Amino acid sequence: MQTTWNISSSPHTRDKWTTAFIIKCVLLALLPATVIGVVVNGWHALWVVLLATFSAVASEFLFDKLCHKPDTWKDGSAAVTGLMLALTLSPNVPLLLPVLGSMFAILVAKCCFGGLGKNFINPALAGRCFLMVSFGRAMADFSVDGVSAATPIAELMAGRAVNITRMFLGTENGIIGSSVLALMLGGLALWAFDFIHGQICFSVLGSFTLVMALLGGQGFDVRFLLAHLCGGGVVMGAFFMASDYVTSPVSRLGQTVYGVLIGVLGALFRLYGGTADAFSYSVIIGNLFTPLIDTYVIPKPYAFRKRALRAQQGDRVPFYLRIPRAVKVLVSIMLIAGLALSCIYYVTKDTIDEQQRAARAKSFVSVCPGAVSFDSDVHWNLLIDSRSGQPWGSGFGRAYINEALIGKNESGETVGYVISVTSADGFDGNVSLALGLDPDGKIYGVSFTELNETPGMGMRVNEDAFKNQFIGRSAERFSLNKAGGSTREDQIDSVSGASITSGAVLNAVNAGLDFFHTVVKGGDQ
Amino acid sequence: MKDTFRGGVHPAEHKELSRDAALVRYDPKGEMVFPLSQHIGKPAKPVVQKGDSVLVGQMLAQADGFVSAHVFSSCSGTVKAVEPRRTLMGTFADCVVVDNDGQFTPFADYETRQDTYGVSAAEVVKRVQDAGIVGLGGAGFPTHVKLAPKNPDAIRYVIANGAECEPYLTCNDQLMRSHAHAIAEGLELMLRLFPNAEGVICIERNKPEAIQAMREAIQGKTRMSVRDLRVKYPQGGERSLISVIAGVDFPTSKLPADVGCIVENVGTIYAIQRAVYYGEPLFSHCLTLSGEGAANPGNYIVRDGTMFSELLEHAGGIKEGAMVKKAMVGGPMMGIALASLDVPVQKQNNGLTLLVDDENEQAEKDMTACLHCGRCTTVCPQGLLPQMMADAVHINDMDRYENKLHGLECIQCGSCSYICPARQPLTQIFKRTKAEILARKRAQSGR
Repeated sequence: MQTTWNISSSPHTRDKWTTAFIIKCVLLALLPATVIGVVVNGWHALWVVLLATFSAVASEFLFDKLCHKPDTWKDGSAAVTGLMLALTLSPNVPLLLPVLGSMFAILVAKCCFGGLGKNFINPALAGRCFLMVSFGRAMADFSVDGVSAATPIAELMAGRAVNITRMFLGTENGIIGSSVLALMLGGLALWAFDFIHGQICFSVLGSFTLVMALLGGQGFDVRFLLAHLCGGGVVMGAFFMASDYVTSPVSRLGQTVYGVLIGVLGALFRLYGGTADAFSYSVIIGNLFTPLIDTYVIPKPYAFRKRALRAQQGDRVPFYLRIPRAVKVLVSIMLIAGLALSCIYYVTKDTIDEQQRAARAKSFVSVCPGAVSFDSDVHWNLLIDSRSGQPWGSGFGRAYINEALIGKNESGETVGYVISVTSADGFDGNVSLALGLDPDGKIYGVSFTELNETPGMGMRVNEDAFKNQFIGRSAERFSLNKAGGSTREDQIDSVSGASITSGAVLNAVNAGLDFFHTVVKGGDQ
Repeated sequence: MKDTFRGGVHPAEHKELSRDAALVRYDPKGEMVFPLSQHIGKPAKPVVQKGDSVLVGQMLAQADGFVSAHVFSSCSGTVKAVEPRRTLMGTFADCVVVDNDGQFTPFADYETRQDTYGVSAAEVVKRVQDAGIVGLGGAGFPTHVKLAPKNPDAIRYVIANGAECEPYLTCNDQLMRSHAHAIAEGLELMLRLFPNAEGVICIERNKPEAIQAMREAIQGKTRMSVRDLRVKYPQGGERSLISVIAGVDFPTSKLPADVGCIVENVGTIYAIQRAVYYGEPLFSHCLTLSGEGAANPGNYIVRDGTMFSELLEHAGGIKEGAMVKKAMVGGPMMGIALASLDVPVQKQNNGLTLLVDDENEQAEKDMTACLHCGRCTTVCPQGLLPQMMADAVHINDMDRYENKLHGLECIQCGSCSYICPARQPLTQIFKRTKAEILARKRAQSGR
């Protein structure tokens, strides 16, 4: 009979999942987003993805060989890092960038700190930040067919309207891995099969949404919240970056704390920060807090928790002690926040409305002398509503008609019209103005209702020298004279050094005039 | 109703190999070896000498003190020697060696049922003590100590542990199917000691026949119920069962009786029934012989002292063409790997598993750095943080290990090692560290 046996400590059986298997599954979960990114953005994106992945693996291979380390490049973790990095890049980046980024991610952020399991920040994010500080311009180049354009999240931060459906599908302008649908598909699958911890992803998303709702100034406006959730890599960050094992805490409570930290920071950066890429920084800050959280947030063993101590005494365990702590923490944060929000809303609601109405009425009256009340027209409203979100006419850039009103005097006679127009082509956000016209189309005046331009430059459009040029004129369309000193009826002198802002104002005025002539006078309904 | 504890894992069960094989009694032919220490506590003191002739059920060694247990002969024959022999931990220990005459002549009549009406609680405990019964679930804690808590009135639950959560093992399943009435009677005897307690028979759902048999057996009996539990390891752990049934988690510094519970394996309860009704001491128990390497997996009633090698040979040996990598006593989660099969069966052994595939060998090859994935934390039935505990051991921070992370609360169930994708030998680290810390403490208190 056989007489030699293996001897080892129990257990003698192991689960099927190995490190390599888990990494391969994460890679698989990233595939939908990669595929959609490549299909939407074309061949160049495919090259970015392939180069980033390949150079990440090659870097690790070289490091292993040069430093005589065991071959770790085969486990697939380097490929995940490279792919994740590629997904956070613009599809237009020069092909050198993915290579450099992957090399930095693997060689510096990962291998120099001890390789798999030892890195203190997510290597892919480290690579991305390295590229951001080194090649800021190329990284922020989201131009389409050579025409410069902004990402939806930049638009959103500038207060403009975005198309949430396109953002969700990933067909909007943005990074390669910007398809929320595909990322969610992969991320939720990872969560459902227990690859990543729900405590992290959902506390990130939850706290982000909450802070956005609380401080975003739009309350629980679903469109606003969804737009912020769908843009700027929040989903990618929550499901793939923050939930990275190595750089997140181990205990469930620690993971919740970590997730809330990232979500809150991400939202604060988004609201008050200067860059649209804030979410990657908040994940990195979360990574840096991980060792601290792991040192101090140590949940007690079950037998030492309050609930167990009561049970050991033979007492009935009260209901509130049976609820897991993480649930308690999250629910109480939500309750407090929700309560605070509704209080603020109720207290300020009337005041805000009142102020807005007064401010608007003031500017309307200032451009429509003699009017004491304003009436709206059902047909105009329908037309404006039907065009909501689309620029008015053609040749006015991105100019939107907000409202058109008929000004009436005490005896109810029409004394003029007020058209509120917003142009999204300002140097720094929107330019909104109220355009006042007499019944024949002669301009009474222009009054700005929203203007965030550069002080001393763009802001000078609000000075009388520029603004008053419109008064009394009745051209159907104005053009901009950059040289100054124009005497033509349909030319307006630009504010020197602020031609973009001047152009935006002109576009808004022209759009308003066009509305007046085609709709108010022309009866185009 | 709550059907499981927090954490835990679900290893492949492999119970189909032997689950339907009925219990078979095996009478060995070769010499029999009886270690003096088959229980937790002091080793028993031998009461026979070389040359003495002994009968089945005759005492070989007497308990030394309260926390100890008698050792009985399971065969008739002559005492050959009292000498150190290799036991299953691989080390040598004092044993009584009996030359088996193959007759199995009983020392007393163990077949006649005695009337137990009016037998006092103290008498039940005494009969259990006299029968040398220890916990047959694996630990081997003397049963009479468990049955004599400070305050018997405070016991709320007497838990009959029929969970059998270890993969491969099926002997308790078979015992419950074939001896359900005896187990129910044993539980009834135990409830006599604890007037305020409820008897709960806990069985995992993968044993529907046993659940059915026990449900029928407790018909008409008061203060007794059967609970079917989720199939999960370590469901059959003492602490897991108490967490499910009584809803109490308690530290290792406390005993189950401190939180109003008594947990006994169904095999132990059967032994109690035999001891009290028939006066039969504990000299045989059920054991599963299984694993992919066994020619005929099955369930046996084996006599203590039988050599594992002889039992295996009787059962058809190793399967034709199979290359057995590892033999272990018990199941793969907590079993002890054997260096040699020439060691005797002890009271608390409940399985011999022959593995063709040693997953530990593969695990050593697959080992990677820890990813901090947190799976060990999720599965720990005690709510510990195995990853951090291992880190603390690596940097030799024993204060953090012991006081911050409560590392001594580890019950060494093996769930963390099982689940670890990086294949870190977590349980092994904790076993070693626990032993070191306890040894240091003993040294300090001795000074």
